[in-house]
Amino acid sequence: MEGRKSFHQHLEDLYLDVLRMANITVDIIERTRRAFAKLDRELAQGIIDGDDEVDDYVKKIEGNGIELLARQAPVAIDLRTIIVIMRLATHLERVADLCVNISKAVLNLEGYTLSPWISENMDEMFLGAVRMLVCAVDSFKERDESKAEGLSKMDDTVDRINRSFLKGTNRDSEEEVDLVIRVVMISRFIERIADHAVDIGEDVRYMITGQFVD
Amino acid sequence: MAEEALENKMVIKNLSMFYGGFKAIEDVTFDVPARRITALIGPSGCGKSTLVRCLNRMNDLIDGVRVEGEVNLDGENIYQPGFDTIGLRRRVGMVFQRPNPFPKSIYENVAYGPRLVGIKEKGKLDFIVEDSLKKAALWNEVKNILRDSGQNLSGGQQQRLCIARVIAVQPEVILFDEPCSAIDPVATQLIEDLMADLKENYTMVIVTHNMQQAARVSDFTAFMLVQEQGEPGRLIEYGDTNTIFTNPTDERTERYITGRFG
Repeated sequence: MEGRKSFHQHLEDLYLDVLRMANITVDIIERTRRAFAKLDRELAQGIIDGDDEVDDYVKKIEGNGIELLARQAPVAIDLRTIIVIMRLATHLERVADLCVNISKAVLNLEGYTLSPWISENMDEMFLGAVRMLVCAVDSFKERDESKAEGLSKMDDTVDRINRSFLKGTNRDSEEEVDLVIRVVMISRFIERIADHAVDIGEDVRYMITGQFVD
Repeated sequence: MAEEALENKMVIKNLSMFYGGFKAIEDVTFDVPARRITALIGPSGCGKSTLVRCLNRMNDLIDGVRVEGEVNLDGENIYQPGFDTIGLRRRVGMVFQRPNPFPKSIYENVAYGPRLVGIKEKGKLDFIVEDSLKKAALWNEVKNILRDSGQNLSGGQQQRLCIARVIAVQPEVILFDEPCSAIDPVATQLIEDLMADLKENYTMVIVTHNMQQAARVSDFTAFMLVQEQGEPGRLIEYGDTNTIFTNPTDERTERYITGRFG
């Protein structure tokens, strides 16, 4: 009996598009990390200017996903996959937006010097968020439920560092307080990137099991 | 979601059916909840039409047919010796793939069944005809042409006439054997809407090769399959329709409904 070849080809194309979008997004966070570490204005500006690529992907994925839903009436794993691909694209778009926000904040840090403890902690947070997003995308790609489940634990580390900034600040130094306020804003953005990775993990678990995660 | 406890109108237990030496369906067990729509889906030749015809002993009319197992209607096995099959076919009516109105007027098509069970009074017959045509969502289209031949109606109208004809004898269960495969999409939509309305009073079972139709109209879905050529059709999975179409348990169900065969 003839299967739904053309439909499954379109679904495969959609899948490949979201993986490409994920690769681009991971690269953007990685560049954002470097822009912050070196307070590299040029790199930061490049991230702000390059955001269109991600926006184009999300439009394409949503448009094609909606068309498949409307015209092919997918069910079961196909339905869950399309829904999750569309949600994944939305999460990735937000992650890219947060990187743009961070890059704008980097532009506003001109003239500041990052003290070592701030640099180290921020770098750890950035790396944690990158690892989480990579893990979330891998869990999707490999349909790996345990990878998806591991994300909330990884998120605890990022949250912990995020909370430590205000505590660790030397409040007698007016200059450091001023810097930390700006850095905390950035660390909040990173924390939200990590939250998106956790949400992607929950979506992936739904895709695999058909059960919603509490 | 809280769901009221469902009463089972029919309970099918370990049902097998043979055409002579050939086993067409094997060991099928599932429930047909009252005032709900149960869909039977599966590829051509999987035994779904054969199965639905077992539910009102329609297969009795074919030579060499033998049935094992039980089909209980309100707790009574319809295959027990001495069971009233004429009464059974009134209680469990059937609508077929091709609309098959009698070569008589619209009125007579609907009045035929009630006349058979002895209703002669014109006022009473008039009432039944109007009421049945209204329930079949056909009254407004035919109320001025009741004396015209039923066979002059469009395909979709003929199918609703056949539904009215079934309703006229006040059945408890209505079996639909691919009721929309010979009619256009607009008429199909009308039949599907009609089934949703009829759910208030009737238990329905629909055989359909259109999976999306099963997904749209039914509350419960049973998936049947012949695994290897020559084997009997078996029930692979039965469950509430939402679960079957979003997260089926059996991989074979998943492969069939997503269009991946083999």
